[in-house]
Amino acid sequence: MPRMGGMSRPDIRHWQPPTEAEPDLAALVARVARGDHRAFELVYGELAGPVYGVVRQVLRDPAQSEEVAQEVLLEIWRTASRFDPARGSAAAWALTIAHRRAVDRVRSESAGSRREQKAATEMVPDDVAEVVAATLDHQRVRRCLGGLTELQRESIKLAYYGGYTYPQVAHLLGVALGTVKTRIRDGLIRMRDCMEVTW
Amino acid sequence: MVKILADDWHVLTGSYALDALPDPERAEFERHLQHCPSCEAEVRGLRETAARLAMAQALQPPPGMEQRVLAATYRTRQLPPLPPERLPHRRVARRMAAFAAASVAAAVALGITQVSTQHRLVSTQASDAAISRVVTAPDARIETTRTPAGGSVTVVASAALREAVITSTGMVSPPAGRVYQAWVMSPSGARSAGLMADRSSLLASAVVPGDRIGITVEPAGGTSKPTTTPVAVLPA
Repeated sequence: MPRMGGMSRPDIRHWQPPTEAEPDLAALVARVARGDHRAFELVYGELAGPVYGVVRQVLRDPAQSEEVAQEVLLEIWRTASRFDPARGSAAAWALTIAHRRAVDRVRSESAGSRREQKAATEMVPDDVAEVVAATLDHQRVRRCLGGLTELQRESIKLAYYGGYTYPQVAHLLGVALGTVKTRIRDGLIRMRDCMEVTW
Repeated sequence: MVKILADDWHVLTGSYALDALPDPERAEFERHLQHCPSCEAEVRGLRETAARLAMAQALQPPPGMEQRVLAATYRTRQLPPLPPERLPHRRVARRMAAFAAASVAAAVALGITQVSTQHRLVSTQASDAAISRVVTAPDARIETTRTPAGGSVTVVASAALREAVITSTGMVSPPAGRVYQAWVMSPSGARSAGLMADRSSLLASAVVPGDRIGITVEPAGGTSKPTTTPVAVLPA
């Protein structure tokens, strides 16, 4: 049977923010748990961009990022039955796996020399063609990060996008451990409220 | 190991949600989360927030990745759903907490009361107010276990209140002339927490950390000391 209208998977450049896609995503993951390959293609369409993006943000190296992103997406296929909608959104479930997998990879590397050479807070530039710019999320995150104090913002960016532990963040910023722990939590709570995250 | 105070734990929710806890601390925090419903709720919201940080950085994946991943799914066996008894602890706990509260409400509504005339073995039948006080205590810990007599026993305990609510559900009726009796067990011995009726709850007071809750089968009316091996033992 031909697929509806012969349409292909939506281009990731037109990826929709999950606030709209979310109810579908949870239902799709439930179908994936039952071995539905078509549902997995749709989940891939929703999540491959964010998964690859966050892994690349942490690992920097494109080849290594691709390898880890593939592992993560396969892990989503493999463990779909363990997703529990009562405990959070499907996107958060998947991106938690992705981020954790990326930081585990970074921390298992002996020297991590490639990363050390990069400026600590440098983001993967977002004016290159491959970036999905101008999504609603992108704009909102920028605006809300802008509303944080300098220390909150740098702490969160180093921890999440940099993949650093909070003691490493404290060292990089030259502040006390306790200060970093508090700033990360306060800043993230402000982000949550600014982005009107529901959970 | 350095002792970490409750407040220090709570401030780690943000770092945990960003995967910024170094390894030994991450594992310790995860253990703490099992017993800290308010931390768990905060982590959930902050995880959703972190997910937005990821989505804001979405990138076009390299060409060919989709084909490779889709092909790999045909070679990759999926995990089966978790059987109910092997659900992660917290989820069971949350369900059981809801159930415990509901069952007490039901017991009260049905006028189920424990007979406590012959002995003073039966402690206070947990009132609605008592159970909600314990279940909603910030430090409430919930333990549940299945029993060889079928069904399960759930204990919701608050160290701060020094109280525990004991609820059983689905256990087979004890043999004629026998009852289930709950005990607070400490190194100095066991004291009765009352006789258990299915789907009702008992309130045990003066419970201290390290105490355990045990359920035994005893002669009708109960005894002053346990006379059989417990069918269930849980931390209080």
